[in-house]
Amino acid sequence: MAQKAENKACAMTTAHAESMERRVRLTCRVNGQFVVEDIDPTMLLLHFLRDRLKLFGTKEACGEGECGACTVIMNGRPVTSCLVLAIEAEGSEITTVEGLAKNGELSILQQEFIELDALQCGFCTPGMLMSARALLDRNPDPTDDDIKEAMSGNLCRCTGYRQIFDAVKKAAKREREELKRS
Amino acid sequence: MLSQFEYIKPLVLDEALTFLAEHEQTYILAGGTDLIIMLNKNMIDAKYILDVKSIPDLDVFKFTEGEGLEIGANVTVNELVESDVVQSKYRALCEAASVLATEQLRNRATLVGNICNASPGADLPPSLLIYDATVKIASAKGERSVPLRTFFTGVKKTLLNKDELVVSVFLPDPGKQDNSIYLRQTRLRGHDLSTVGVACRLNGDGKVAIAINAVAITPLLLTDLSDQLNAKGLSEESILWASEEIKKHIKPITDVRASKEYRSHMAGILLKRCLGQLTGKEV
Ligand code: FES
Ligand code: FES
Repeated sequence: MAQKAENKACAMTTAHAESMERRVRLTCRVNGQFVVEDIDPTMLLLHFLRDRLKLFGTKEACGEGECGACTVIMNGRPVTSCLVLAIEAEGSEITTVEGLAKNGELSILQQEFIELDALQCGFCTPGMLMSARALLDRNPDPTDDDIKEAMSGNLCRCTGYRQIFDAVKKAAKREREELKRS
Repeated sequence: MLSQFEYIKPLVLDEALTFLAEHEQTYILAGGTDLIIMLNKNMIDAKYILDVKSIPDLDVFKFTEGEGLEIGANVTVNELVESDVVQSKYRALCEAASVLATEQLRNRATLVGNICNASPGADLPPSLLIYDATVKIASAKGERSVPLRTFFTGVKKTLLNKDELVVSVFLPDPGKQDNSIYLRQTRLRGHDLSTVGVACRLNGDGKVAIAINAVAITPLLLTDLSDQLNAKGLSEESILWASEEIKKHIKPITDVRASKEYRSHMAGILLKRCLGQLTGKEV
């Protein structure tokens, strides 16, 4: 029977304790870059991205799949990286918020978040952007309901959501016009 | 995370089954949306994590006309939502799948994981129970199939033995004239299990099946209730009768999500709505 260990988990203290003994090799692609790292199998994808690759855009808040702050795109689909083991990303293609800007220029989606004040403290923003990015990739012309549904796994304590919704909607329109997405 | 587990990723089913038979404290990882939370919160002490996602036998997702739909252990909830067959043949399942948790979780969570986790409030079981789903279970000793209605044995408990793993869930072909629906009450869309959820099916012979979650220690297929209702025939009166009668067939508790009185009341309301929508009767 599994022993019930004392529950010390707290969102801010789940930082990964690495063992040097049990290493597994992880090979994947992150924001287009080929990555090969030896990691502890208990490491979460979230901590791999932040602690190992120093991609601090992806945020940790709840640590249990509720808030969406840790959302990244894995093989074309948004997932909460706090509920994925790093080693499960073997062979996969990951996009984090750092992968959105191209050649030093913010993407249309990011521009619209700024333009329409879709962030205040900004903690939820990377997750919001990744959920929105995944939505627009699979559906360049989403209905209002599609947008709400796609973003409903991301919590924001500041904005009240309206501005985020508007930013996604406007970005979708601009992408269709400027990038000829359809 | 306190568990210092080893990660095992077999490529064939037999290898996984042998490993399970030989190693205690092994936990099966498919979508991980429940397992990794338990690991993070140190609720379990895992020695081995057995990732089954590279086992092709568990990828099966196949409909055979006249027979039915087999859903393998690796099929994610969003794959169900996006499937034409599920949309057209098993509407209640499509509806339940599309309201389960969030987009991000649906991309990882699997149907088989949802039943193996055996939460009384899980969204998918009612929509499987009304279709007389069976569960295909394998171990190093062989295979067996059990009806889903006998699969759940308690809160977070199933009849699975430690050395067994669920290969797939099978839903018989409901035929052409079949329709079904899943309605649920939650506190917050996308962030909660259901407070009460009801799935109803009206088959080609005009017979009803009813299943419900979050009102007992397991999801329930209410066969006695549907038998009585079918004997009466579907009418406005019988639907109203059933939506009162259902309260005698469930044992809700009071918890953080709702009081038992509220659950009982909502079970009736949801059943009435389900049957109203399926039959087109105004109740
Ligand atoms: S930190 Fe992953 S969902 Fe909240
Ligand atoms: S901007 Fe602060 S949480 Fe969303």
